Amino acid sequence: MEKLEIKATKYTPEILFDCEKNRLSIRGKSYPENTAEFYAPVFDWLEAYLGQLTDQKARVDMEIHYLNSSSSKVLLDFFDLMEDATEEGKQISINWIYEEDDEDSREFGREFQEDFDTLNLNLIQKET
Amino acid sequence: MAHDLYGLKKDFNEKGIFLTFSGPLSQELMVEIGHTLKQKMQVEEASKTTVVRVFSMVIENAQNIIHYSAEENLGIITVGREGNHYLVSCGNMVENKNVERLRSRLAKLQTMNPEELKQYYKEKRRKGPDEGSKGGGLGFIEMARKASQPISFRFREIDEKLSFFSVEVTI
Repeated sequence: MEKLEIKATKYTPEILFDCEKNRLSIRGKSYPENTAEFYAPVFDWLEAYLGQLTDQKARVDMEIHYLNSSSSKVLLDFFDLMEDATEEGKQISINWIYEEDDEDSREFGREFQEDFDTLNLNLIQKET
Repeated sequence: MAHDLYGLKKDFNEKGIFLTFSGPLSQELMVEIGHTLKQKMQVEEASKTTVVRVFSMVIENAQNIIHYSAEENLGIITVGREGNHYLVSCGNMVENKNVERLRSRLAKLQTMNPEELKQYYKEKRRKGPDEGSKGGGLGFIEMARKASQPISFRFREIDEKLSFFSVEVTI
C-alpha cells in the first residue's frame, strides 16, 4: 500500500500516514464543512493498514488543537478500529498530544481513554 | 439615509456585542470570522481555554446555520462580553415542523448537570447521528458542556411555515 499524505488547510489537519515506517500522525485543526467526506479516505486507508499490519509496532500521534463535534465522532470511529486491531494482538500505540494550558484538549483525550478498555492511548503534554 | 447604522452600532456597543454577522454564511467566511475573533480575544488576554471555547461555540453555531437554516445559509451570529463572561448568540429560520423536536432536545439539555451532559455526549457520540442530521448530532450537547450556564433558546413563529430560532450560550 502507499503512504497517505494530506496537507493541512485552515480547517482540516495534516495527515501523514506512513506505512513503511509505521508512523501515523494527525496534526492541526479539524472542523471540515463535510466531516464524513473529508475523513472517508482516511478511514479507508487506516482500515486497510491495520488489516495488513502483523508484528510491527505502529505509532500514532494525534495533536489536534481544535476539533468540532462531528470530528470528535470520527476520531471515536478511528479508535474503534485501532482497539479492534489491538484486541487481535497488533501493537498500536497512540499518543494524544496536548499543550500545557489547553484544558479542553487534555479533557478530550481523557474522555477517549475512558471509552476504551484495551486501546493503548497515552496522554502526552507537549514540551514547550 | 434609510438605515441608521450608527443606531445599530450603538445598540450593539451598549449590549457589549463586539462582533456581529448577518447574512449568507459560508465555511470560508466562518473560518475568517473565527480567526479574527481569536485574535481579538488574545489581545484582551483571555485564557487559552476561554478563547478556544468561544471559538468553538461560534463554529458549532455557524455550521448549524450552514447545514440547517431554513433560508439556505442565512443566519445571524453575535459575540459579546458581559463582565467576565462571553456570550455567543445565533439565530436562523427553521421550519415549524422541526420546532418541537428541537425544543425538546434543548429543553432536555437545560435540565442536565455536567456529569449527565458528559454521559449523554458519550452515549450520542457512540450511537451516531440522528436521521436527517448532517453532523454528529453533538453540537448542542457540546455547547451545553462548555457553557457556564444552561443554554437559553427561543422560537418566534413568523408565519405558517417558518419560525425564527435563537440560541444563546454563555462562556
